[in-house]
Amino acid sequence: MTSINMTPQPTGAVGVDHPMQDAVDRVVGSIRFTIDHEVGGMAHARVIRSPFPHARLTGIDVKGALALPGVLAVLTGEDIVGDERIPNPCFGVARRDQWPLAVGKVRYAGDPVALVVADTERHADAAAIAVRVDYDELPYVVDAAEAAREGAPVIHEEWPRNECGSWALHHGDVEEGFAQADRIVESVYTSPSANPVPLEPHVAVAQWNDQLLQVWSSTQWPSIVRRELAHMFGLAEHLVEVRTYPLGGGFGAKGQVKIEPLVASAARIVGVPVRLELDRDEVFLTVAKHPATIRVKSGVKRDGTFVARDMELVYAAGAYAVTSPSGTGNALVRAPGPYRIPNIRITSQAYYTNTVPGGSFRGAFTNQVAFAYESHVDEIASELGMDPMMLRMKNLLRDGDTYATGEAMHDVHFEELVVNVAEGIGWDEAQPPMAPGRLRAKGLAVILKSTPTPSRSEARVEIGGDGHVTVYSSAVDMGQGASSTLAQLAAEFLGVRYADVRVVDPDTSTTPFDTMTAGSRTTFSSGSAIRQACAALIEAIGELGADQLGLSPAELAHDEGHVVAAMDGSHRRSYGEVIVAAGLSSLSREGVFQSESGGAFKDPLDVKGMASIHWHQGAAAVEIEVDIETGRVIVLRCHGASWAGRIVNPTRVRQQNEGNIIFGIGPALFEQLEMESGQVINPNMSDYMIPSILDVPEHMTSTALVSSEADAELHGVGEMTIPAVAPAIANAVFRATGVRIRDLPLTAERVLRGLRSVEGKDR
Amino acid sequence: MTRFVEPLTIEEACSALAADPWGAKALAGGTALVLMMRQGLVNPKTLVSLGALQHLRGIEAEDGFIRIGARTTLNEVAVSPIVSALSPSLAAACSLVGNIRIRNLATLGGNLAEADYASDPPSVLVGMDATCIVQGSSAQRIVPVGELITGFYSTSLAPDEIITAVLLPVAGDAHRRSSYKKYVSRSSEDRPCVGVAVMADFNAGVVAHLSVVVGAVAEVPQRFDELVTPAIGRPLDQQTVSEIAGAYAAAIDPMEDARGSAWYRRQVTEVFIRRALEEVASP
Repeated sequence: MTSINMTPQPTGAVGVDHPMQDAVDRVVGSIRFTIDHEVGGMAHARVIRSPFPHARLTGIDVKGALALPGVLAVLTGEDIVGDERIPNPCFGVARRDQWPLAVGKVRYAGDPVALVVADTERHADAAAIAVRVDYDELPYVVDAAEAAREGAPVIHEEWPRNECGSWALHHGDVEEGFAQADRIVESVYTSPSANPVPLEPHVAVAQWNDQLLQVWSSTQWPSIVRRELAHMFGLAEHLVEVRTYPLGGGFGAKGQVKIEPLVASAARIVGVPVRLELDRDEVFLTVAKHPATIRVKSGVKRDGTFVARDMELVYAAGAYAVTSPSGTGNALVRAPGPYRIPNIRITSQAYYTNTVPGGSFRGAFTNQVAFAYESHVDEIASELGMDPMMLRMKNLLRDGDTYATGEAMHDVHFEELVVNVAEGIGWDEAQPPMAPGRLRAKGLAVILKSTPTPSRSEARVEIGGDGHVTVYSSAVDMGQGASSTLAQLAAEFLGVRYADVRVVDPDTSTTPFDTMTAGSRTTFSSGSAIRQACAALIEAIGELGADQLGLSPAELAHDEGHVVAAMDGSHRRSYGEVIVAAGLSSLSREGVFQSESGGAFKDPLDVKGMASIHWHQGAAAVEIEVDIETGRVIVLRCHGASWAGRIVNPTRVRQQNEGNIIFGIGPALFEQLEMESGQVINPNMSDYMIPSILDVPEHMTSTALVSSEADAELHGVGEMTIPAVAPAIANAVFRATGVRIRDLPLTAERVLRGLRSVEGKDR
Repeated sequence: MTRFVEPLTIEEACSALAADPWGAKALAGGTALVLMMRQGLVNPKTLVSLGALQHLRGIEAEDGFIRIGARTTLNEVAVSPIVSALSPSLAAACSLVGNIRIRNLATLGGNLAEADYASDPPSVLVGMDATCIVQGSSAQRIVPVGELITGFYSTSLAPDEIITAVLLPVAGDAHRRSSYKKYVSRSSEDRPCVGVAVMADFNAGVVAHLSVVVGAVAEVPQRFDELVTPAIGRPLDQQTVSEIAGAYAAAIDPMEDARGSAWYRRQVTEVFIRRALEEVASP
């Protein structure tokens, strides 16, 4: 094989604020989302959902609905089970435990039981009201601890103990560690359920052409949706085409497999293309953040050194497994936080509950543990009378340290992050005089997060005869600007102009496999695949060019999309000309990023080994003010920081760091899914609170830390500051008021009750 | 399926409502009704749009009162120079409802007809002794806002009646000061956990008239005139303020919802009555 000595010089495509490729379309409103997609002759679907958290289905009467105008079909679970064209109707990423429509019984209030398919959305809505469903209510359980008890209602017969993920880690000798400790600090922290609330709801259109299934879906996981649908219908994967447009927000809500099996089944049975767009309340009934109860017990030396820790993580999985069985493992390896703790024991468990199925929520399986361990560090500091920042600096992981998984940690920047966020809000500044009735204080938190390991990203990069570059990737643009970031990377790797590169939307018939757009992995994983593809492409063009110009490969160089004679820059020929001269219309090469399986998760009850190909690192510091008469907390200042390694687009990195802060303020202060009698009672944007623009801190800043090495590894920044926000606020509230809130959100009422109880103690 | 009609006159609108007393609903801005329809809480057979009744929109200063057309949007009330000059607390309350997208659609008449307990304008209007002109298919009547709202999302409006205007009495010779304090316990764009409207007329430094109304704590705005009587003829000093705040907090029977428990509402009611009274007391 010929080797090309000179690779293209960087064109400055990386590290520059190039606008998003579709910036104008986004601003003027002409961008198309999946919600805008229509196919000829499509019918509209409306889901009928169970009002009961747990009930046997005793009868579904569809006659009245079928008689209404425009109604093409009313489907039930039995219609799907009985259809030989749907050989494997159950789906699920971790366990195939979910039916498109309930069969036999419903497992949560919101479980789909029937589907109306009609010619218009209005007709579908009208008919949905006419479907009569009879239920025989069963005892239900919404709390994970209760679901774990002997004799609890069984949600899936195959899992009689409601077990939905169980992991354990032992590192060092915990009993010995506690024996060495001067102090033992123990607390329990809880986080409630929540919804990621993407502005665009889940929406999918499915169309069958004989054996070919075409699906347009607002999904973060197009490749896995294809795999699951192929399995469901017993098809070769190439007979399933899944396409996405840019998503109107995802934040985890559109991960895994959601409504696609239902829509594809309906299109199969009814024989027309079917479109389903969820209403807002249905989005709340489709995915939920895992509620968690986390017990943390620490043994520390008088000087603050951590010597032992015992943690118990318990999650409510909801009615279906989705990713709980593996997610609880991810939670486990993140639970120690970025600290050196020589003796540690952790268990992490999820239990099926009669609640909305658990799924990803930006910072999934990190937010809950980070709130616990970072609140806990400040509790230890208070117990020892130490500055919480100093206590962290004493125990934070440094390069080469051994982590709880037994792996040696490299490229570690936690100390820099803590110093950065502390400086960012003036940690050591004297407190200015406070308004009467107000208390102010600062708090901070630092976190680590594994990235999905193993995972795979493929990419194909193509140069056309006109010299333009097309990148084929199944990474989804969900507002984070993935397409534009990957375009900048491709431009850099090929030495061409950013404006000449286009990244196409995912289409599994042409874009190669990608595990998921989640876990802050795209820039690194897809970027690595694109880098490989570009290198191969440069090599191929170099070979063709050298041949065409009568030069030896060693005599050839690359210069801004051209091959030239290395010696004097003569013989200049553009890549497009090289391709055309070779008799080709285009030239493409593929690249694959496949992270090795770290091995940490081989034995669920003895997690040990490499858990993440690299560790994401983030921190946040806040200054808050508490109104002591109401308990209301206002975040005045926040500075977030993440380790980026190298930055592709500075503006987008800042937007991620600061968007995470805003996103994180909701669950910290007021955002939660509320349940009553097993039902979600606030499934709308009037009763469910997300931060408004007025809740954004007056002073919000961020830093992305970068390596001094020009070729440093790219780290995703999609979630690094969010997990630190809630504990930083809780720690600041404690420093301001002496009130330690261990249950999220830190509502004004909880703070006021805390203030009253502190006053009581003072008296 | 819902039928949509858009009458050109108020009489036609009343007739359309009278034709189907249980199935028809009047539609103004739609910010409340459409949300309820989408949630399946109401399912009207006919929506009677008031959209063509342009004469129900507008703000005029008349002799001794301000007339606000019922279809005037909350934002129009909030930015009106007339309202800001003569009734600043109403302008403030209207400027705090929801967000600008809501305020550009929601109307003052619609706000009262909805009778949402967790809303800002009603408590101000009750405290100002505002009245509504109500048109029915056979007669017109005038109803004090305090008697219009009768309970949780319920009013004394007959099915065929439409609010056409809201009348606000303005101060005579007295020096009038008013304040509306909205307290949100969750997102800054939430509905009120507690809303306090106070209006005081001073003569020579002493209170000539005082009203204190607490919204969002019970089914209807809470007004206890007997609790403010002791303040009449006295300056609004710290002790008077504390007494009124304490007496109100004891007198109301707060409800509980996601914005706060009954206990919590009682605490913050006292705080915000005090803050509102302190504001009107300070020159």
